[in-house]
Amino acid sequence: MLKELNPLLHSQLRLAVMSILLSVDEADFVYLKEQTNATAGNLSVQLDKLSEAGYIEVEKSFVGKKPRTVCRMTSTGREAMAEYVEALRGYLTGI
Amino acid sequence: MEEKKLSEQESLELISQMIRSTRKNMEVGSGNQFLYWGYFTAALSVLLFLLVYYTGDARWSIGWFSMFLFWGFMLRMQRKETSSVITYTDRAILQVWKVIGSLFVLTVVIMSLLAFHYGGVNFSLMLPLSLLYSGIGVSITGIIIRSRLVMWSPLVGFCFAIYMLMAYTLHQAVTIDWYLYFGLSFVVMMVLPGHYLNRKARNVC
Repeated sequence: MLKELNPLLHSQLRLAVMSILLSVDEADFVYLKEQTNATAGNLSVQLDKLSEAGYIEVEKSFVGKKPRTVCRMTSTGREAMAEYVEALRGYLTGI
Repeated sequence: MEEKKLSEQESLELISQMIRSTRKNMEVGSGNQFLYWGYFTAALSVLLFLLVYYTGDARWSIGWFSMFLFWGFMLRMQRKETSSVITYTDRAILQVWKVIGSLFVLTVVIMSLLAFHYGGVNFSLMLPLSLLYSGIGVSITGIIIRSRLVMWSPLVGFCFAIYMLMAYTLHQAVTIDWYLYFGLSFVVMMVLPGHYLNRKARNVC
């Protein structure tokens, strides 16, 4: 029986964000927007969903007068990604 | 990037593509910190050597404490320029240098306390200790970023540090030539690796 893919991660933008955060310690909103070519509004909505699920931590601060949003993956997010990749492997190898 | 249903294959490709693109722009300007510190220290050592040599006044050696002012200046500059992304490598290197920095502060504090208690202490010991502390920091940085040149470049500094420490045990006087050895060590362990890292980063991008 194939494991069901996590619907929260099985979306292009959310998966892209999670993949980026998997390979760095932290990334800010601007960086994520550039890397994913997403619109600010869409990215913001998807970050909220990931944050609500406890997959990422979102920290809002100010650098001078500019607002800055920094995202980090949580251990829950890391486990979810590991399970997701494992499930994907199952699908691809047909186990 | 739009919301769309992904196939399993597309999902895996997306994950590897994002990880690849993130790794690509990690190393730009990675040698700058080494260059700033290397050039500053080399210039300072030559300047202090010339001042002490031509005036015959050893009090100029107090100028070594300007390295702490430079450190403060660098920290201020770093706070101004926030990086969009911090990698695990960046974080590890930052922590290593925090420990090395604390070691410098701790050494000066203990030396100052001893100077206060005994009414005087020889701060020249800071030269070999600084070479050892900085050299260990550079070497660990080299190990983290997997660069052999960076990893081994402090060897020259280590040799000078051992020579200086041995001079104390042999009761030899501290000479101002040590300033030049100190500067030369920083050129080898920071300026050369700094240029090497920046050239490497340019070639990658």
